[in-house]
Amino acid sequence: MQIFNDYKDRADFLTVYVREAHPADEWQMKSNVKDDVCYAQPRKLSDRLAIANDFIKRFQFPLPFGVDDMNNAANDAYAAWPERLYIIDENGKIAYRGGMGPFNYHPSEVRTWLATRYGEVKHPEAKPAETKTDANR
Amino acid sequence: MKKLSMWIGISLGALLVIAFVALSVMAGGPKDALYMVRYALPHMHRGNLKLGDSAPDARVFALNGSETFHIRERTGAKPLVIVFGSFT
Repeated sequence: MQIFNDYKDRADFLTVYVREAHPADEWQMKSNVKDDVCYAQPRKLSDRLAIANDFIKRFQFPLPFGVDDMNNAANDAYAAWPERLYIIDENGKIAYRGGMGPFNYHPSEVRTWLATRYGEVKHPEAKPAETKTDANR
Repeated sequence: MKKLSMWIGISLGALLVIAFVALSVMAGGPKDALYMVRYALPHMHRGNLKLGDSAPDARVFALNGSETFHIRERTGAKPLVIVFGSFT
C-alpha cells in the first residue's frame, strides 16, 4: 500500500484477484479462521466477484482492481497463484518477476526497482511510542 | 548385503521423517505440510516467463462483473506493477 502511495504518479498499479489460496474447503489456515476470512473456493464468477468486493470493502483497498475469469486465464498466463508480483515496462516487457508467495513474495524488491528508476521516497522516522509515566498520565 | 539394504532403508526413512518435520515447521503443522504438498507443490515450477519476455495478456473482470478489460490495456504509458493474490 505504501509503495502505491509513494509511486502512483510514476507507475501504474493493478491488482488481479486470482483463485483463493486458502479457502475453507481446501487448505484453510487457522489465521484465516481467527480473522474471520472464511470462503469456499469460488465455483462461479459471482462468488469470486463477491469475495473480491468483500476484500475491497474490508481494507478500503485503493489499487485498481481486476478479477480473473473462471478459466483462470490471468493466473495461468502469469503463474500467479497464490500471490506474485510483476512489473511490466512501457514496452510491454517483463521488467520484474517476483517469486511465488508467500515465501518468495517480496514487495521490497518492487520498491527497489521503482526507487532505482525514480528515486527513493523517504519517510520521516516513526516517533518512538511515548513511555507512560506518572508525569504524563 | 542384507545389512547394507537395511541401513539404506533406515537412512531413507530418517531423511523422509526429517523432511516432513522441516516442512511441518515451515508450513505451520503436519496437516499444513500435507496440504502444502497437495496444493502448493504443483505450482512451484509453473510459469516460464523471464525478464524481457513480452507480457502475456488476459481478460479480467471489473469489480462490477459486467465490464472487462485486458491487462495489456493498462501497459504502455508507465511501468505497470501487477499484484496477484486472493483474500485468503
